[in-house]
Amino acid sequence: MSEILDIIAKETGHKSFKTHKMVYDSLNYPSIDYDDNSNIIWKNYGERIHHKMAVNLHDTLQDLPNDSEPLFKFFLDGSRRTYKVDDISISNQVFPVMAGQVGVGCCKRDKRRLSHQESYNHNVVTLPRQADSDGWDIELFCNRLVNKINDLNTLKKHNIRFDRILIYDFVKSEDIKLENKGIAKIQDYMIDLEKKMVAEIVNQDLLSNTSFLIKDGSIEYKKMKTGNYRELAKIRNNYRYVIGVSKSFNPERCQDNTGQINSRAIANLKLYHRTPVYMYQSEIVDSVDDPVYFAIWYLRIRDRKYTKSPYEGILKVEKILTTDNEINDGMDSEQVDYISINLIKERNPVCWGKDTRWANHLYPVYLTETYVKSQFISSNYFLNIF
Amino acid sequence: MGNIIGKVAATEKAPTNIDYFHFWCAHDLILHPFDVISVEHVRGSKTFGMVEDISHITDSPSFLTDYISNDFGDVKASSNTERINMNYVRAKVVANTKGIFIPVLNGAKVMLASENEIEEALGLKDVKNPLVCGYLEMYESVDEAQKVRLPVKVNSKFLLGSEGAHLNISGISGLAAKTSYAMFLLKSIQDTKFQEEADNDIAFIMVNVKGKDLLAIDQENDEFSENEKAEVVSEYEMLGLSPKPVTNVKYYYPYSKSTASYSNTYASKEHIEFQKNLRQAFFYKFLYSEDKDNLELMFSNIDDPTQTMDAIINYIMHGHGRFGSITTWHQFLEEVENNCKAGANTEKEITVSSWRKFRRIVKRSIHNNPIFAQNANRDEGEIRLEDTIKEIKKGDIYVVDIAKLDDGMQSFVFGDIMRGVRNLKLGEYDEELQGRDYSIPNKIVIFVDELNKYASSDVPKNSPILRQIIDIAERGRSLGIVLFAAEQFRSSIHDRVKGNCSTHAYGRTNAIEISKRDYSFVPNVYQNMMTRLKQGEYIVQNPVFRSLISIKFPRPIYKQFK
Repeated sequence: MSEILDIIAKETGHKSFKTHKMVYDSLNYPSIDYDDNSNIIWKNYGERIHHKMAVNLHDTLQDLPNDSEPLFKFFLDGSRRTYKVDDISISNQVFPVMAGQVGVGCCKRDKRRLSHQESYNHNVVTLPRQADSDGWDIELFCNRLVNKINDLNTLKKHNIRFDRILIYDFVKSEDIKLENKGIAKIQDYMIDLEKKMVAEIVNQDLLSNTSFLIKDGSIEYKKMKTGNYRELAKIRNNYRYVIGVSKSFNPERCQDNTGQINSRAIANLKLYHRTPVYMYQSEIVDSVDDPVYFAIWYLRIRDRKYTKSPYEGILKVEKILTTDNEINDGMDSEQVDYISINLIKERNPVCWGKDTRWANHLYPVYLTETYVKSQFISSNYFLNIF
Repeated sequence: MGNIIGKVAATEKAPTNIDYFHFWCAHDLILHPFDVISVEHVRGSKTFGMVEDISHITDSPSFLTDYISNDFGDVKASSNTERINMNYVRAKVVANTKGIFIPVLNGAKVMLASENEIEEALGLKDVKNPLVCGYLEMYESVDEAQKVRLPVKVNSKFLLGSEGAHLNISGISGLAAKTSYAMFLLKSIQDTKFQEEADNDIAFIMVNVKGKDLLAIDQENDEFSENEKAEVVSEYEMLGLSPKPVTNVKYYYPYSKSTASYSNTYASKEHIEFQKNLRQAFFYKFLYSEDKDNLELMFSNIDDPTQTMDAIINYIMHGHGRFGSITTWHQFLEEVENNCKAGANTEKEITVSSWRKFRRIVKRSIHNNPIFAQNANRDEGEIRLEDTIKEIKKGDIYVVDIAKLDDGMQSFVFGDIMRGVRNLKLGEYDEELQGRDYSIPNKIVIFVDELNKYASSDVPKNSPILRQIIDIAERGRSLGIVLFAAEQFRSSIHDRVKGNCSTHAYGRTNAIEISKRDYSFVPNVYQNMMTRLKQGEYIVQNPVFRSLISIKFPRPIYKQFK
């Protein structure tokens, strides 16, 4: 059933080549996909105590009663699958038509068991801006097209609907693969949904100083051109009880206040030690008028002897500084320690054997990720919708 | 009930099919093998499944994962999050409300079944000629409110004929309570109204093979405490049976001289005297003139590859030599003795050594044994078993005690009973019985424990008792002779005997037994359950049931001897 492609061709007035449909995620060469985005220059301490060395959390951990209520109650993760479903020809230029399944889920933990709290599952298609031949009201064009697609009986019969047509811009001089532009749009859409979900959780008053949320990956969201939550500065208060935990990070990007790469200090972290917290202002997040400050530290949760690389078993922890006190003096070091030991307490169980990133993965986050992915329809099924 | 407990899961590796499906449920939902669950199916129908196996699964791909999840083997390690886990249940499809047997669909809701649905699922609904064979309990661990307790009824025509006949009860001694179960069924048959119908009159002959087990089946069980008694009474009442022992029982003891005790039985003298006063106890004897034809029964378990024993028995039965003029067992033994003397043998085909072997066997049983007598005085309660069998009436329960007799004698007596019943039903005594004011019971149920002694696959093929048992197993349904037999190990019983039983009751057995071919059709979980069954629990197979059914029956209400 290529009805969707026919509708796209008809609405855009361009030719559909009906090329080979494929899952795009698996086509790239393997590479390290870091969760963090920018160079991190540690300029100031991000906590009140200015530790010169790594902080040993063993004793603090011992002091925490075994049956203490965990700090982290909510776990959030987003995932997307991208597909190349067609090529269309516009003004002698061939553009890929990309599609994606986007899922964002939040799980709640109660009495050691995880349950579903909130989830979004969206299907999207990306097209180049040139697809709209009028070009005056791209939003209207996208809405009309998505409605026509959703009106297809075949989709209704299979209970599938598309949520959005996403538009990417094409500038001839850019040396970027067009497919990647489409994927970037889908990624942005997913991030917007993640932010939306945090906002909803906060609106429901579910987060507090005894009920934190772990967001998988960095929360250093770059400023986006579109989306309801495009500026982190405006929604930073949602992140008061949220931390971002990255499994993978680029150690080359960690520089101390002298500009020296600090990767060695991170690699040498001993078990249950954390680095001092540093504060930094992200280059990619915001405008100069309304800066967003992050507190960031690294924490080793697995013994080095059990991991293959020195960075396995180390988590990168991010927290947006939301109060004036925090921005001026840094986080309370006790709070940093408390968050850290609670993260250490999340080290078990592990997803060893299921995920090669097991040493850096936190099990409830892994489960949330698994849950989100389990909501996707199979790639074969999805591709054959087109 | 309609409370959803899980959903059907059909995967690539474990698809649902016409016979089986899997569903997941909460890890703390306590279901048991044999529990019935209902599943929503196409066209508004419901498919019923019987729980066969329950597995617990986590997302851990190997044991190592779990080891690592405990800080690499730290037994004190704990975690904030429970590893994701669930139970999944393998269920066997037993019925569908609309006869639709396409596989149940992925995601279909699974519910506990209501009483009505359980009956429908197992084929217990609207059973014709119902006969209670126990009760089933389900969901007792789910929740007290959900607990289901239902009488299980079989169509008596599939147990007592004419559609099917014979019952085989197997299980290890003591723990399986085989005799108690047979007695429960007897009680059920006696209490069931259908036997009042003219063409369904039944009589019973029970053979007591162990101690005093069956020697007071019409006396109340005096072991119960008040509470136990109340519980047992309520169970019997729930099953629609009276909480009273069976009635109309007569006891037949092997004759022995009345001294301080009777030497041929385990029953005490007082016990027998008590029954005698009630005209319930009798002593059986064997008279040479009438019973010599049954001599072959003494040789049931004797291997006779050259058929020399057979030749001697024929020689005697046809009155060859001086055997034609013998009238007493004493003379018989003397004549056998004569034939054992060197050079005394006139029949060249039978060697002296064969006669000596014959003598050894018959002498062991007959010599100085008061059962082998010259006459039976009815006024003293002495009878011949064959004569008694001729007189059996509707509703009679005969208990024949053979417990203290040696193996050869036990075979002799049991064979005599079988032969007598068979002859009666074949009409061999019709002429003799003409003019009697009552008719032969339509059906005669014979209960014998330790069937393996008479019908095991190791019994010599030419054993007269084995021949009789096979004959009854194969033709008894039409003749109206029903065999209720029990044994420890079903696998040792002759295929033609157990193959002809319509109903099979499996009590507790052991691991070696369930590894035998007889149990290969039983799913592994049920096999293992068989090794854990408690007293009073049976797994029953009957053509009317759609599946094996796990049942319970109340504790015996008749007198128990320790």
